[in-house]
Amino acid sequence: MGIQLKDICFSYTPASDDPLVLKNIDLTIDNGEFLILLGPSGCGKSTLLRLIAGFDHATTGSAEVDGSSIDGPGKDRGMVFQDLDSSLFQWLTVRQNVEFGLKVNRIEAGERKERANDALRMVNLTDHDHKFPDALSGGMKQRVQIARMLAMRPNIMLMDEPFAALDAQTRQMLQRQLVSIWSEVKRTAIYVTHDIREAINLGQRIVLMTAGPEAAIKREYAVPLEYPRDQSDQVYIDLLQTISKDIEEEVTKVWS
Amino acid sequence: MTRSPFNKTILGGRIGRSFWISTVSISCGLVAWEIAARLWIDPFFLPPVSTVFLGIIELIERGLLFGTIGISLYRILAGFLLGSIVAIPIGLIVGISITARAIFDPYVHFLRFIPALALTSLFLVWFGVGEVAKILQVMYATAFIVIVNTATGVVTTHENKILAAQTLGASPWQIFWLVTIPACIPSIYVGMRLALAGSFMVIVAVEMLAAESGLGYLIWTSKVYFKIDWMFVGIFFLGALGLLADYLWKMFGRFAIRRFVRESADY
Repeated sequence: MGIQLKDICFSYTPASDDPLVLKNIDLTIDNGEFLILLGPSGCGKSTLLRLIAGFDHATTGSAEVDGSSIDGPGKDRGMVFQDLDSSLFQWLTVRQNVEFGLKVNRIEAGERKERANDALRMVNLTDHDHKFPDALSGGMKQRVQIARMLAMRPNIMLMDEPFAALDAQTRQMLQRQLVSIWSEVKRTAIYVTHDIREAINLGQRIVLMTAGPEAAIKREYAVPLEYPRDQSDQVYIDLLQTISKDIEEEVTKVWS
Repeated sequence: MTRSPFNKTILGGRIGRSFWISTVSISCGLVAWEIAARLWIDPFFLPPVSTVFLGIIELIERGLLFGTIGISLYRILAGFLLGSIVAIPIGLIVGISITARAIFDPYVHFLRFIPALALTSLFLVWFGVGEVAKILQVMYATAFIVIVNTATGVVTTHENKILAAQTLGASPWQIFWLVTIPACIPSIYVGMRLALAGSFMVIVAVEMLAAESGLGYLIWTSKVYFKIDWMFVGIFFLGALGLLADYLWKMFGRFAIRRFVRESADY
């Protein structure tokens, strides 16, 4: 069970001769796993995440969640977008944003409040629940997105470089927070990033993709370290070096 | 986003620095007008403010002023509101559905380049001399601006909002009501503000050409009777009413629907 991607190819223009964006992707993700999709920019890792989210459909191959094929977005798969502003509902307060999914699914008021409180607590936004998004910092906006997803209690949490637009300190703090949320909710997390350290800080398993077009899976790495990850650990350092070397190979391929 | 605490309101809030600056600015303008009209300009072409003010008194005494303003305002507001009520749903549908766009777009973009004034005589023939023809022309002038702005608001709603709502389990109908419409309220708001000015323009012209009441009629007949001061009364009230209407619209945006229009109401 979990997510199964079999022989996935993807093109935005299937009828043309343009090269594929993704080519022959095979990937299985277990329930409860924290998986990182890592790769140079433009390699199609976000595209792969969108296929799992159901925003786009594989041109060939099959994508399944717990045995049933993905045919569109669903509330079992939550999403956190990279962009800070475009996905939030600016006309709703933080709490109303978090309760949006519960409301449209007609969760009754008592439970709605409880689940929103829970989600707000996990991202430390309880004291800011009455504010509108345009009064929040970038890091807080991303925490609203995470809380909005958590309130729905999805089985799978999809995150597309959620911290890429934030400063280094905020990013580090949110990485720690995300790990503790994931340990608490015990759901599958799939996290896209191009940042190697972020990948090692967060993931149990890292999937490195080749540079696009025709991106494929280059290599996988297990991260056999306890959370929080110790950057001075020899295993961490070795892993960082290995992945850096592999990713550099891909980047030079693009530039040569 | 600039949000100055002293630039929010005149009614029911702090009277800020901007209000006083505006008051001084208006006073200086009026004084300059008075002086210029007395010293350098032939009062036949530009009567001094005091003469215009006396003209207002005269019109009030004759029982003409309030009826004149009232009928023009009625035509403007009725046409503006009815035009918007028709235009917003059309704009939403045209923005959302490619099919609806293909059906309506040729009409919208053909008709909106025909000035309402070109239709005055035709509307007179079709709908007679009553209020219907005049209100319809204001509707006509209002509707296209609102349609185009509304539809633009729909198509510029960020895809991520729709996708986020989908992952939260919202149905297409819920997305329409709870995401698309709120997201394009700023565009509708700005479109209606522009349309309001358009409706003033149209009603004056219509009243000049095909009416026997209203500010446009007052301005037109003043010319015939060489009552330049009355003409200025009409012109003055158009500006004043426009200013007031725009101000009320801005305050409506800032206070009643602030959460939707946000910065769009700051100017």
